[in-house]
Amino acid sequence: MVYYLIICRSLTYAQRTAAALSRAGITAHLLRTPASLGERGCSYSVKISHRRLAQALQTLNRAGVPVERIYITQGDGSYKEVEL
Amino acid sequence: MIYLDSAATTLQKPRTVARAAAQAITTLASPGRGGHRPAMEAGATAFACREEAAALFGMESPERVVFTFNATHALNIALHSLVRPGMKVVISGYEHNSVTRPLYAMPQVEVRVADAPLFDPEAMVRRFKEELEAGVDVAVCTHVSNVFGYVLPVEEIADLCSKRGVPLVVDAAQSAGCLPIDGTEWNAAFIAMPGHKGLYGPQGTGLLLCSDADTTPVLSGGTGSNSLEQSMPEFLPDRLEAGTHNIPGIAGLREGLRYVRSRGTQSILAHERSLIQQMVDGLRWMDGVEVFAARREEDQAGVLSFRVAGWDCESLGEELGRRGVAVRAGLHCSPTAHRTAGTLASGTIRASVSAFNTPAEVEGFLSILRRTLSDATP
Repeated sequence: MVYYLIICRSLTYAQRTAAALSRAGITAHLLRTPASLGERGCSYSVKISHRRLAQALQTLNRAGVPVERIYITQGDGSYKEVEL
Repeated sequence: MIYLDSAATTLQKPRTVARAAAQAITTLASPGRGGHRPAMEAGATAFACREEAAALFGMESPERVVFTFNATHALNIALHSLVRPGMKVVISGYEHNSVTRPLYAMPQVEVRVADAPLFDPEAMVRRFKEELEAGVDVAVCTHVSNVFGYVLPVEEIADLCSKRGVPLVVDAAQSAGCLPIDGTEWNAAFIAMPGHKGLYGPQGTGLLLCSDADTTPVLSGGTGSNSLEQSMPEFLPDRLEAGTHNIPGIAGLREGLRYVRSRGTQSILAHERSLIQQMVDGLRWMDGVEVFAARREEDQAGVLSFRVAGWDCESLGEELGRRGVAVRAGLHCSPTAHRTAGTLASGTIRASVSAFNTPAEVEGFLSILRRTLSDATP
């Protein structure tokens, strides 16, 4: 399944991200950032469907929630960074 | 027991507070310390608590609501963030030791006291204006005196500080939960408050509302974020929340905040003021009792001090305790306030109320005090 991971700098930012997306009707799951993507160590991410990225970015922009990095899953289970 | 010491800690809480705290002990782990369910649910509880507080105090972002152990902890963070050696700090003449002790412990810091008579907000604004014009680097003002219940003119002082670009720290220890507090409108650098008083949370909880002022952590350690780096994260709330959170306390505080929001601060304040007025009316008829009450209702919240001629206040407080009334006697950790009001030598007896006190309890207190003064030896 293809999905996007929004990498957040802390749990609280990830929660704020997920809350803003949920309020906009976008299903968002909070999870630990995979170790391979955590540039500075522990962090949390928000997982969203590949169909909702544009709407999610608009929502987060309107809510003033900063987005650090976004990754998309590859067929082999690895991740590729999405240029914002 | 008639409990009239809510200015120290509210003892009667909404039932949901104890229930949530107890449940958290067995079901919630640590926010930011794992992806398993107990950790994630702990994180969800902490975030929900931040959101409740942000909504009550007009904060735009929940991450600017920082959990502390109490108001003293919050004030220490605020003062250590703003005050540096060589600075001048103006404080109101009604500050608690939680403000003055950290300041006096800092080397080469000049503390200037804006002292003005009790229940005279106009004079307090004038004194702050004088000190600000003379040149100070930081201002600190309590919202409500923990000794006298005096509501200080924080909005006006915040306005003066904003115009002069002087960062303001507000100690909302006695006002959070009963007076309007606006973390955005006031433009204060920091607003500190306990969770265990007017917010009805458990002891060991507090909040620091942060603006975009730079912050200096007073504790360093694990935050569950940026683990590879050996400096504290630059972002809130992680920067100021090292170590494991008091999750049972936070779960309880969330319920306390929900109670305050659902009942409304205006309703709580009106209830408390009516109880204080009932006390004032009763105390004024007693021989030898000197009551420190404001002439205007808006100048006083749910705290009242009095003293009795011929009685040592500690002895009277103890006697009342023996007879089933919990009050606080002495200096209430606020020698500055007593010095300003002229009660330093005697101290006072303080009765303070919460949303859960009743007129019958106040009547009971007055009746016990009346009997004590007539049949006990000072």
